[in-house]
Parts: sequence; C-alpha cells; structure tokens
Amino acid sequence: MKNAKILIVDDDPDLRQALRLRLRANHFETISAADGYSALAQAYKEHPNLIILDLGLPAGDGFIVLDRLQKDDKLSTIPVIVLTARDAQSTERLVLQSGAAAFFQKPADNAELLSVIRTTLMQAAEGEGLPA
Amino acid sequence: MNQASTHVLLIEDNPGDADLVRLRLVESNPKVAVSCVNRLADGIASLQQNPPSLVLLDLNLPDSHGAETFRKLLDKAPDVPVVILSGQDDQALAIKALQQGAQDYLVKGGVTSAALDRAMRYAIERQAMIRSLEMSRKQQLEFKNQFLSHVSHELRTPLTCIHQYVTILTDGLAGEITGEQRTHLNTILKSVNQLGAMVRDLLEAARAESGKITLDRRCVSIEDVIRLAVTMMQAIAAQKAVGLEVGVEASIPYVLGDPDRILQILINLIDNGIKFTPADGAITVQACRIPTDPDFVCVSVADTGSGIKPEARALIFERLYQDPNAVDNNRKGLGLGLFIAKELVTLHGGRIWVASDGASGSTFSFTLPLYSLPKLLQPVIAHEDQLRSALVLVRLDLRPRTTPPRGNWKEVCQKTRDLLERCVYLDKDLVLPPMTMPGPDQAFFVVASTDMERSAIMLKRIRGQLQKMEELNTSGVFELSVTEIPLPDNSDGTSLYLRVQEIADRVTDMAKDALGTIKPSTTNCSKSYGDQK
Repeated sequence: MKNAKILIVDDDPDLRQALRLRLRANHFETISAADGYSALAQAYKEHPNLIILDLGLPAGDGFIVLDRLQKDDKLSTIPVIVLTARDAQSTERLVLQSGAAAFFQKPADNAELLSVIRTTLMQAAEGEGLPA
Repeated sequence: MNQASTHVLLIEDNPGDADLVRLRLVESNPKVAVSCVNRLADGIASLQQNPPSLVLLDLNLPDSHGAETFRKLLDKAPDVPVVILSGQDDQALAIKALQQGAQDYLVKGGVTSAALDRAMRYAIERQAMIRSLEMSRKQQLEFKNQFLSHVSHELRTPLTCIHQYVTILTDGLAGEITGEQRTHLNTILKSVNQLGAMVRDLLEAARAESGKITLDRRCVSIEDVIRLAVTMMQAIAAQKAVGLEVGVEASIPYVLGDPDRILQILINLIDNGIKFTPADGAITVQACRIPTDPDFVCVSVADTGSGIKPEARALIFERLYQDPNAVDNNRKGLGLGLFIAKELVTLHGGRIWVASDGASGSTFSFTLPLYSLPKLLQPVIAHEDQLRSALVLVRLDLRPRTTPPRGNWKEVCQKTRDLLERCVYLDKDLVLPPMTMPGPDQAFFVVASTDMERSAIMLKRIRGQLQKMEELNTSGVFELSVTEIPLPDNSDGTSLYLRVQEIADRVTDMAKDALGTIKPSTTNCSKSYGDQK
C-alpha cells in the first residue's frame, strides 16, 4: 500500500519539523503549510489523506480552514485532526462540531496521536470504498 | 424649571416627621427634589422606576419593621446610598443597619438642615466610592483570569516543542542514544510534564474562580472512580515506594456527580499525599456512609506523611498555599491542587476538610451527594398521594459503529439524551441521570407512568425521532426496549414513601447491568419487548 500523505499545518517551524520527523519515522509522507491560506492551497494541489491542523494561524485561523474544507466537495472528505495549544474545555466541542475528526491539546501524547491518525485514515479509506 | 441635582426618596409614614425632614432638606439645598412615600413597598416600587440619589429610611413602617426594613431595601437596590431616620428610642436598630451597609443615621427631632445636608453628601460620596471599588475589583479579577488564560496558552507552545524534541531523541528517531543520555532526557521529560501540569492547574484555577466550570452530573459508582484513580496513580506511588490501597465500604451507594471531576479531585488528593509521604509510607483511599448525614457519602485519602500543623490546616485550601514541610521539595507544585479540589467539591454541593494530629499523617475527606432515586422518582410516579397504576422502564442503548467512535460521538450521545427529554412528559416520566462512566457505549433509561400497551405509542414516538437524527445514524446504532416495572403490593397499607423506595430499588436492579460495561442487551429480553433497529 502507498504511504499515506499528511499535511501538517502549524505556524511554528520547529513544531512542524518535529511532527515531520515523527510522522516520517512512522512511514507517512508529509507536506506542510505555515498559514491558513497556504494550507488550503496545499490541500487543493496535493490532496493529502489527512490534515493535522493548528488553530492559531496567520492568514485565516484554523476554524476558517476547517470551514472552507467542509464546504468544498473535493476536500470535505479529507479528515482533519486538530492539534492546538488552546484550552480543551472551551475548544474541543467547537472543533468537533466544525467537522474535525479528532482534537488534541498540545503537548499531545505521541503514541495516542499516531494511533488516532491510523484509525482515522482507516475509517476514511473505508468510507471511500463504499458505494455513494 | 431648574433640573434638580439631587433626588431624595423619603420613606416615612409619620406625616409630621416627613414634612419636617422635607422642610430641612429644601432649606439646606433648594435644588433638591424630594419624593415621599409612607410604605416600604411603595418605596421599593419608586426606587425601581426612578432610582434616587439617596434614600432616607424610617425603619418602622406600616408594612415592615426594624432591621428587616433595611435588609429588604438593600436586597432590591444594593447600590443606592441609604441614611436611616431613627427615633430617640431605637438608635440600636439604626446602628445594626449601619453594620449591614446603611451609610449613616440621623435621630429624628434633632435634625438640623446642616447636619442633614452633610449626612446626605457624605452618604452619596461614600456609596459612589464603594461602587467604584467593587467595579475595579471585578475588572481586576476578570483581567487576571484573562491574563492567566493567555499566559498558559503561550507557555504551552514552547513546552510542546521541548516535549516533541525530547521524545524524538528518546524514541531513537535521531539516532541511537546511550543509557546515560536516556536517563538525562527522561529527567527533562519529567520536568516538562510537571510544567505542563502547572500550566493546566493555572488555567483550571482561573476557570474555577470565574465560575466557568460546569458539571455533567451522572449516577456514579464511587468505587469505580476510586479504583481508576488508584490505578492511574499506582506508578507514581511505586516510584516513591509509597503503598496505595483502597478500602471501600461494602454496598456503598451511588453518588450524583461528574465522574471526570470526581476523578480529578481524587488524583489531586492522592498526588498531594504521595508528595508528603516518605518512602515506605502508605496512602489509603476510602469511601463510606456518614451516619450523621444520610444524604452524603464521605470519601477520604489518608497518608502516613509528615502531617499538617494546626495553623496550616486553615490555609491549606487557599490558592497558592505551600506547605513549608514538604518532604520532597523537588515535586513542589504551584499550590493550586487543593484549591481546585475545594472548588470542585463545592460545585458538587459537598464539603472538604483535613484532619491531622500534626505528626503522623493527615486525612483529607470530602463529601458527595448520594444519588437518590426515590427522591427523583417521588414527584413523577406518585400523584395525589397515590402511586401511578402502571409503570414501565424504557431503555435506550447507544453503540458507536466504529471503534474508536468518530470524533463527535460524545456530542451525539448528549444530543440523543436531550432528544429523549423532549419525547417524554416531564410531570409523569423521568429520564434518569446517565448511569455509566462516559464511554463509547451508553444506556439511557426512562421511568414512564404508563402501561405496556400504551408504552408502544411512546416507543414509536421516540424511535421516529431517533431515526430522524442523522448524526446518530451515521455514527452509531441504537436499540430501544421496554420492561414492565412490577408495582409493590398495596394491600397491607405500606406508606407511599416506602413503596416509592421499593420501586426505586427495582428500577436500580433492572438497570444494574448498565452501570459497568454495557452487555449486549439481547441477553435481557425474556420479559421485555426486544426492539432491534
């Protein structure tokens, strides 16, 4: 099976790099974006299998990105995992209501994050395999 | 006409006194506007319609007497300055009103216009000062909480970065590391995790203080929560060679509370216990009934640590308090754990305290309200002192389609329960508080005042609504069933209260299997209409 492609969206270059290392070590292909605008551009161009999305972003915050993704026929099937430093109590519900597949607060447990990435990818693959 | 600068509301029932005061008022300040009423109720009505700059209040009125008069007024208009008009013989009463917040008092008969004018000005100024102090206190509190929430958010980003790169090293993603390097990296990781916990506590304390914590009240097995907390803390206790034991009284009743929050309280207390207990000590977590207070369960965490001095005991639940006698100074926190625990217990309607002889350990105890099904059932299943003629138990099982469930499963369960609430008659049906630890499988119950035949209509209504709920059907499956609740025999004239209790026991028995892990509900359809979707 081809390696799944994950789009990492975070405005902190060090965190992008860390996530890239972690995901590549686990046999994922990665691409990245540092702001909301390029996140959407990358999503159109590369059509990743999954997006890991920070919320506090320049040029369109994470909620705007989520909203645009949901409204686009081609992109709405890409599952999004939100990874943010924002407070879980006030944000988790909102994020899930906005269509994200999962919510993680930074710093996230690596093993847990990887396991959710895998199950989310599996669910998405099953969903695409079903007749419309 | 000149715009009056000061508007005085005079509440006085003696016409002579009223006229005299009005005269003195106008003498001292021609610009003052005076309105006069002779009953407290009229005074309060006028206050709310047209707030005055000041109230002159006689305490003995036709519709209210004594200190009560001022209290009632204060209740309705806490911001308006009040000067008491007192008779010669009731100055003691006036002084009592001062202690409760009146600005001043004047003794009728001896009132000069100069004294009246002075009292008025001072009262208005002082009240304005109090009000602005109160406002700036509130603003400061709000500012502080915003600041804390901002700071903890900003701290999390670099914290995440350290965490990420340290784990990249320890997981060998950047090449092999030596044993010694690993030890050092684990020390960094430990500190990062401590820092993370502190940031979380800061936010939590700010949230507690501004009343932003809400509880998801459920029927909770306190024993399960205690065992979970102990399992979670076992590793930390073992590291310090501290024993961690559980002693729960047999057949301890369920409590009504938020299981996540109760877990948080327990973890705070156990963590605290470990911190102050030297190696080879022990911590015991217990739960028992309280003979003096049958509506509560008492949970306690006892350690064999250094104990707490009496002078510290009073301060220990205050935020930022640090015990100078901590055994392990490396594991000092911010001093917010007990403060948060206290806030959470209070939110549950319980109380928290500590007992210690100051030498050989301390015991933290807190109370939680019992989950009392009879109390919840009574208004629903009894009508005009008679038990309803028939009762059924409706059960709704929810299971996610996938493991783990899709992201918004918790939300779907909550919405399903809200829908259930809307499908029943609130005066004769009761949706029981959820009876499971929040997990993927959920079971909700309704006690309905109807018979088996008519319950079919109710089930149809609920099923129709559930089928329309798109989110539920894409992410999960549901199953509805109904069982008759056998009514207790009424021939021997048992009291209504006892019969309600008996029914509550039966309902509890019937729903018991849903309290732990929910078993596939095909196993209990001998007496029920199984109803598979």
